[in-house]
Amino acid sequence: MKIAVLLKRVPDLVEDLVVDASGKALDADEVKLTLNEFDDHALEEALLLKESVGASVAAIALEGEDVDKMLFTALAKGADQAIKVTGVAPVERNLQLARVFAKVVEEGGYDLLLTGVQATDDRDGQVGAMVAALLERPFVSVVTSVLPEGEGVKILKEYAGGVMAEFEVSLPSVLGIQAARQAPRYAPVSKVRQVQQDSTLETVDCGAAEGMPGMSVVVMTPPERGEGAQMLDSVEEVIEVLASKGVI
Amino acid sequence: MPERIAFIALAVLCFALAFSGFRRIYGLVASGSKADRSDRLIRRFVTALIDIGLQKPIFKTRPIVGVFHAFIFFGFSFYLLVNVADVLEAYVPNFREIAAGPAFSAFNLFSDLFSVFVLTGMVFFLVRRFGAKPKELEFDANVKLHPSVAAGGVRRDSLIVGIFILIHVGSRWLGTAFHLASSGHVDPFMPTASLLSIPLRSFESVHEIAIHVCWWLAMGLILCFLPYFPRSKHLHLMVAPLNLALNKQTPRGRLEKVSDAGSPGAGSLSDLPWPSLLDGYACIMCNRCQGVCPAHTSGAPLSPAALEINKRYLYTEKGKAVVEGSATVSLLDEAITTDAVWSCTTCYACVRICPVGNEPMADLIEMRRAMVFDGNAPDELSEVLRGLDEKGNSFVESARKRARWAKALDFKIPDARKEKVEYLWFVGDFASYDPQCREVSQKVARILQQAGVSFGILYEGERSAGNDVRRVGEEGLFEALAEHNIAVLEECDFQKVFTTDPHTFNTLKNEYPSLGFEREVLHYSHLLLDLIKTGKIRLESMLSGRATYHDPCYLGRYNGEFDTPRALIAACGLELHEMPRHRENSFCCGAGGGRIWMPDHDDVTERPSENRIREALGVGGVKHFVVACPKDLTMYRDAVKTSGNEEKIQVSDIADLVAEAMPLQI
Amino acid sequence: MTQDILVVAEHLKGSFEDTTFELLAVARKVAAQTGGRIVVALIGGEPSMCSELGAAGKVVNVTGEAVVNFNPESHGAALDAVFEAVKPRMTMVGYTSMGMDLASTLAVKKEIPHAAFCVEVDVSGTINAVSQLYGGKMNVTSDLGEGPCIVSMLPGTASPDDGRVSGNPPVEQIEVPETDGKVRFSRLIEAESGDVDITAKEVLVAVGRGIGGKDDIEVAEELAEALDAAVAGSRPLIDAGWLPKSRQVGKSGLKVAPKVYIALGISGAPEHLEGMKSSGTIIAINTDKNAPIFAVAHYGLNEDLFDVCEELTEAINER
Repeated sequence: MKIAVLLKRVPDLVEDLVVDASGKALDADEVKLTLNEFDDHALEEALLLKESVGASVAAIALEGEDVDKMLFTALAKGADQAIKVTGVAPVERNLQLARVFAKVVEEGGYDLLLTGVQATDDRDGQVGAMVAALLERPFVSVVTSVLPEGEGVKILKEYAGGVMAEFEVSLPSVLGIQAARQAPRYAPVSKVRQVQQDSTLETVDCGAAEGMPGMSVVVMTPPERGEGAQMLDSVEEVIEVLASKGVI
Repeated sequence: MPERIAFIALAVLCFALAFSGFRRIYGLVASGSKADRSDRLIRRFVTALIDIGLQKPIFKTRPIVGVFHAFIFFGFSFYLLVNVADVLEAYVPNFREIAAGPAFSAFNLFSDLFSVFVLTGMVFFLVRRFGAKPKELEFDANVKLHPSVAAGGVRRDSLIVGIFILIHVGSRWLGTAFHLASSGHVDPFMPTASLLSIPLRSFESVHEIAIHVCWWLAMGLILCFLPYFPRSKHLHLMVAPLNLALNKQTPRGRLEKVSDAGSPGAGSLSDLPWPSLLDGYACIMCNRCQGVCPAHTSGAPLSPAALEINKRYLYTEKGKAVVEGSATVSLLDEAITTDAVWSCTTCYACVRICPVGNEPMADLIEMRRAMVFDGNAPDELSEVLRGLDEKGNSFVESARKRARWAKALDFKIPDARKEKVEYLWFVGDFASYDPQCREVSQKVARILQQAGVSFGILYEGERSAGNDVRRVGEEGLFEALAEHNIAVLEECDFQKVFTTDPHTFNTLKNEYPSLGFEREVLHYSHLLLDLIKTGKIRLESMLSGRATYHDPCYLGRYNGEFDTPRALIAACGLELHEMPRHRENSFCCGAGGGRIWMPDHDDVTERPSENRIREALGVGGVKHFVVACPKDLTMYRDAVKTSGNEEKIQVSDIADLVAEAMPLQI
Repeated sequence: MTQDILVVAEHLKGSFEDTTFELLAVARKVAAQTGGRIVVALIGGEPSMCSELGAAGKVVNVTGEAVVNFNPESHGAALDAVFEAVKPRMTMVGYTSMGMDLASTLAVKKEIPHAAFCVEVDVSGTINAVSQLYGGKMNVTSDLGEGPCIVSMLPGTASPDDGRVSGNPPVEQIEVPETDGKVRFSRLIEAESGDVDITAKEVLVAVGRGIGGKDDIEVAEELAEALDAAVAGSRPLIDAGWLPKSRQVGKSGLKVAPKVYIALGISGAPEHLEGMKSSGTIIAINTDKNAPIFAVAHYGLNEDLFDVCEELTEAINER
């Protein structure tokens, strides 16, 4: 089985997010990017599949700050290939990204595409679903378990309230991963460094994305608090609130 | 005549057997990975022999046991001469006539007295182990033991050795008594044997036989014991001096570098450096290391003693196969469990206390290196390592927020990256991000500002110094952090570096030089004391009351700095009362070695920090528990809270004391 | 393209999810702006369910073996067919597990813009949708043009009661189109019953990532005990194995609405808020004063949860 994992970097929410002067985007200087945690889970699920049935795993990402390290880390974790896509103008929308990924993936002959179910910057929808639609492949998201089954895979999809549905999916297909069966493994820096010395990343050059349905940003603002929470000053005040609600 | 031949035959046989045993030992130790201990060999051996001669290593703890051991040590050392003399006597006719004169009289006197010493000592030890059965010689149920050890191997070994010594020395003593009995008079230079000989005089018919039997028992037994040595902890006679002489003499706080970056650390026995393998042979299975281990004391499944003992028993069981290359012994699960490896706080107490120079902690770190590389680290630890890699701190917080604590001050701390300063303050993770420690950082800043000191910090340029990253086995990440920090430091213009964190202090001082950073590094206690001595800080509002001081592992035991913080406490007007475990014997708070990033093991009954607070309360009347490390501050304040002792004792940093004693005006 | 608003109804095990009515509530407002009808796409489901869809002007019910249970492939094909039949100006889908399998796919196929994470839609001029991004830290308004377009609404942004109207909308039945059968539904797995049913509790003490570690949940348990409450948790804690799934509150966990919900160290990401927004009184405790939870909570305390927990537990026990 040939698996490709699509990786995307998103703003790290640990930082303070600031809107830039245009009022329409995040201040690029203040933003620190980090790997989308759901994509990390997708990579982990792919590696688990590799370990159980000997699939090959390719990690694919768009070039950018710290992307090299991210791809080498994927290799250090056990991926067989790491592909960096170059030559794409700054990507503003997931649809652009999805088109780039679809192009890269089409040639590769991958049976299974895994990517995170969503990302915190998915203004225009989910990358996984878009790639699947562009490639006309079946797509299921919010997947928490992927196991080989006959010629395809058996997956678990989560609904609300802890209910799950089991599906069988033929390959080739695309899955949006909610959580891997175990926490994403850690790749020790020593291993990543070793991999950096021993291997090189494959690069694929991709042309710019064509035009797409308009969806410009009007404005970006922190959400209005409304009244927001009434801030209390002490534990005593919390006790008062609890007492007033009759719970103590 | 036939006796002599028989003895020579026995000697040849026993020496041959012993030789093959010793050769296997050499082979196994040599199969370990490389380590260089060949510097200043003569000085190493001379120092080791002197220390052993003075019995220094054994007296670090358990003084009474030490006295009896000294009996046996001196007695037995002397006995080498005695054995030689006895063999000569058997083979050289008229030896007794030749061997006369004051020298030999003295020799006889010592032989006589030391016989009794050894016998007394041996009886003490046998009674102790088999009668008194002290808890310190036992193992907890959750500690992994080699099956032979679990079946009582150590006890059996002790019994065999004990009985051997009793018979060997006893029969020689008895033989001497029979000699005297048959001669009919007493020898003032052999007082105890003479005393024993008196009642034996009446057994005239058996004198001759008795003398021969005793001789054979004494000498034959020692021959028979030779091949048993390689299988017994009694081997420490020969290996301990070697182990002590060849011990690691680089600074305590400097870890050895990873030998093979492609496959770091130790997974199997042969992956360990040869001094670690030698440790197993030197181990006397006294369990001192277990007794001082904070993880063990808290109930976690770690026993450094069990690790060394298991290694020893694995050598006996599989050593031959390992040397021949037909087997590998996996350390994990054969010598120790995964949980136990991660329980270590790297406090160095086990290394420090070991009488024969063993380093169980070093083995644990080697194992961690391999485990981390293979992805076998606890999830919580991996999360923290990931955060350290991405954000440079162990709090998984924004790197930009590192110096937020400084923004709360009324003055601006100079940015050492841009301005020249005299003292560069390397703040550290905890002092930057932990809410309680930040208050101390702010106090320190204000103290220095009031004192007019020229100091600066690295703001966001600083990343965790990496001391504990190294101790959890992530060498690559340590190097990455250090490289980054050194690059930033190199751009700065300063005279000295100081830090409020002993872990940071340790690595900056001992490990960063080999990565290219060689500047003077101080712990802030030094700086504060200096400022007081030179009058830049005047203490005008003396404190009063009793205080006790907790020596941080990485400041005290690792780097020998005990006095400065104590001087500071006294300078502030407090009355210092020491806890029983102080200075080099200080008991770790339990945060080091990455433990602060991992959850407590289910088996833990009392955290090390809570144990320590109990100890402090036991001193009587102590109001101030003084620390000099940010992790200690958080651990002990937490322990005081969870044990409900907030009214009784207060945890303060030395900076808190100085600030109050000044008093701080800005 | 018509001025109609197409609402994709969501249902499981024979009853509608609240999302459906939330979407209808928003659709009513939008339809009033466009002047079109609300058309509900009921894919699968029983005809009797249509009586709950009184807010709709019409229902297109897609039936067939393939859509008895939710299946992204057949539901996708069904939605495609309905879309072509209705040609709506706006298609509204819930930002849910089922919705995520449908929305972006349709958008790409029809080459129309799709706004996700939506909390608000406005068609007074061109179509504007407000998406709540970055874990709830930023609201981004997008201009989707004149339409057609798709919006995925975050559950909990409207009151389902505003969309729950009984009635008798006209129903058009169509057969589900043939698909290649590449995705095959096997079975539904019920939620594991836990020791405690958090949806039945009057008071919940919920912990988020701020708790730090599994051991530390103890402080929350003590508080819960003092309040006769249960401990619940956000998704990351369940993923890490610190709490059983039966305690999960949020998008893929349980929806709760207790009298009092105490949120400890929970940042307030949309996925979690979805599960507890409707709680009677929400008290949030977090060291980050900018945490999105404070926008939704009724009362807040900008303190360290450990200190607060212990003090609270003590104070309650003393009463």
